[in-house]
Amino acid sequence: MATIKIDGREIPFEQGDTIIKAAHRAGIDIPHYCWHPGLSVAANCRMCLVEVAPPPGRPALQLDILRWDPEKKDYVPARKPKLVPACQQACAPGMEVLSEGSDHVEEARGAVQELLLLNHPVDCPICDQAGECRLQDYWLEHQGTGKRMQQEVVHKPKAVVFGPTIVYDAERCIVCTRCVRFTAEIAKDPILSVRERGNLNEIVVSPDRELDHDYTLMTEHVCPVGALTSKDFRFKARVWFLRSARTICQGCATGCNAYLDYDPRTNTPHRHRPRDNEEVNKYWMCDEGMLSYKRAVEGRLGAALVGGEDASLEDALAAAKDQLAGIKDDPARVAVVLSAQHSNEDNYALLTLAKTFIGAKDLYVSGRPLGRGDEILMSEDKNPNTLGVMQLANAPAPKPIAALFDAIKAGKYSFVIALGAEIEVEAKDAESALSKLKGVVTIAAHDGPLARAAHVALPATAWAEQDGTYVNRQGLAQKSERALKARGDARPGWELVSKLGKELGYAMTFKTLAEVRRAMTPEAPAPSRDADRAAKPEVSA
Amino acid sequence: MPKRTPSNPWTKPAGKPIEGKAIPRPRRTAEVQAYLPEFLRGMAITMRHFFKNTKEMMLGQKPDPVLEALNEGVTTICYPEEKRPYPERFRGLHRLTLRDDGSPRCVACLCCSTACPAQCIHIEAGEYAEGDKRRGYERYPKTFVIDELRCIFCGFCVEACPCDAIRMDTGIHATPYDSREQFIYRKDLLMEFTGRDGSRTSANPRHEPGDPTHPGLSREQMDH
Ligand code: SF4
Ligand code: SF4
Ligand code: SF4
Ligand code: SF4
Ligand code: FES
Repeated sequence: MATIKIDGREIPFEQGDTIIKAAHRAGIDIPHYCWHPGLSVAANCRMCLVEVAPPPGRPALQLDILRWDPEKKDYVPARKPKLVPACQQACAPGMEVLSEGSDHVEEARGAVQELLLLNHPVDCPICDQAGECRLQDYWLEHQGTGKRMQQEVVHKPKAVVFGPTIVYDAERCIVCTRCVRFTAEIAKDPILSVRERGNLNEIVVSPDRELDHDYTLMTEHVCPVGALTSKDFRFKARVWFLRSARTICQGCATGCNAYLDYDPRTNTPHRHRPRDNEEVNKYWMCDEGMLSYKRAVEGRLGAALVGGEDASLEDALAAAKDQLAGIKDDPARVAVVLSAQHSNEDNYALLTLAKTFIGAKDLYVSGRPLGRGDEILMSEDKNPNTLGVMQLANAPAPKPIAALFDAIKAGKYSFVIALGAEIEVEAKDAESALSKLKGVVTIAAHDGPLARAAHVALPATAWAEQDGTYVNRQGLAQKSERALKARGDARPGWELVSKLGKELGYAMTFKTLAEVRRAMTPEAPAPSRDADRAAKPEVSA
Repeated sequence: MPKRTPSNPWTKPAGKPIEGKAIPRPRRTAEVQAYLPEFLRGMAITMRHFFKNTKEMMLGQKPDPVLEALNEGVTTICYPEEKRPYPERFRGLHRLTLRDDGSPRCVACLCCSTACPAQCIHIEAGEYAEGDKRRGYERYPKTFVIDELRCIFCGFCVEACPCDAIRMDTGIHATPYDSREQFIYRKDLLMEFTGRDGSRTSANPRHEPGDPTHPGLSREQMDH
């Protein structure tokens, strides 16, 4: 493969790569604001200037400049090489690039940084970007000096409401146009544009429109500074107190890779933001997914329910045993409901209980009803693990839950053991159908129709509180990490299934997640988290 | 070879009698036995000081105990009527400074609670209410709590504050309360305190965006 040299280091590039892209892939960071690996090149911030050596045998392109000579106390003529923006310059075989290694580049970066901060309010204490702001980072790395401009800065509108989710601060904006390009290129809704010129320019929304498509929060995320803030996260937390877990978004079957940022001191999730994955979501997430982190704490089932009343886990398990008495007499009268909302591990545990121990014949799958999808990321299927359930329980394929209620009406079953709280059908129908049965036990993270209709409901952890594997619509099995501590009495779904199995007198032995995973894929060695991490360098633009 | 633990010279080595120099007891002379002469000698010193101090006090010759603390003569003070001045930078209890309009200067950036090694500051940020001129672009502390009993008076919070919103220039000692609850200082109390000069504001005024004194800002487009 053809290579270029950056500061003496050979790095390979692909046809059509720009310098910054090749460097980014190799893990070399060339400072940048306006470039984003997923967006077109604008080359307007000039932070990525590098020095490119002339081709062999050709003179370097030099510019005549005046440089201050402190001894002569006057400007003297001097020459300096013409620098090029690395985000726009295409790679050519054998090209030599000086980035960190060039004094001219260092000087240029300091100067660009000073220019960007000339009119910047630097209200970092109020700014939500503080702690993860490029301006702060690069100032420290490349400038580190005060600004020389003495005049009052240009003031522009602050706190302009762009839409239901986004607030814009023109003073902080460095007009990198990332947000403009994002709405036009990725969200396919070009409603942002730049107004005015020079230091008066600002971002505006098209007249009579609001920034209200499905990807508004992404504009906030691509903004390298604190100019765009999301109303949801504004002023809620300071980023340096947050920890990030590598999760899989639960919003739909796309399974976008995400970080769940949470405050470990209060056990509260604060935001979801995309994690780069070329194959699944590239760099993006939709609003629905980014806000879905709230479901980790909202509407939760905090304690076990027996007949609608709070109970301890032990009592609930004992009650479940009573309810399910007689289950062994006729396995054909037992229906087991898997959940497309739960991880593979939870479903596998229930499947083991159903097939290996109880000998149940009929499997159903519950989940959230279909919703809106689009061409960009969102799937119509709003469940993160539909494919996972289908793969686990391949023969016979689980039937949709509507069929369960019909079968119950026909008097086919006496017992239901179910995972998950969400069903696609009318809650009333479900409740009236389930109330006819002898025993209904659900294991659910949320308070939903299935949990309410059950005689016994066991509180499961939500996805943010447990490690789990989810198979997205492409068939990729992806791991989601635990972020929060379990709320209330909640335990992981597979553990509850295992406890329930034991209570019923079966030899269910799952004690740790690793055991469940080993049982699922006996031949594969248990993948360690560190190996996972090493395989994918974490890059973010 | 495993390292021997060095023996502790102050403990008796096992199985050995204690070695050492025998120190003779002081001789119990009649003078010491009869303690009265020693008592009188001590009393004499006390009385000498008593009369000297009384004389100096009467004649107004008492040196200023605050400024001439190292001089001869009376060096005690009648606290709390007399107080030694604290140095300029003495760290007393905290206070929150106010803007001219009475709002807290604090913008709930949490820099102080981040810097606090005792982790005794708890802040919740909030947005100003609908209609407030700072609504939308500025935050303020909804709650601001300092646990003064945990505080180690290091002053890091004051150093960390980018807005000069928290200060320890009240000149007040931690007061001896009798319950922990009383040491939990909340926002209202912290905003009540004044600096030693009696002012609630800070000596570093600043043109806040939104103030009429702030140059060049129009808020026409800023409905929120
Ligand atoms: S964008 Fe925000 S955090 Fe970054 S320098 Fe500006 S005010 Fe500070
Ligand atoms: S709002 Fe942010 S992303 Fe948009 S142009 Fe300004 S700095 Fe760039
Ligand atoms: S003085 Fe030190 S210990 Fe006390 S609140 Fe401030 S930072 Fe914390
Ligand atoms: S007192 Fe100062 S440092 Fe503390 S939150 Fe308020 S502004 Fe920030
Ligand atoms: S990143 Fe190259 S000019 Fe902005």
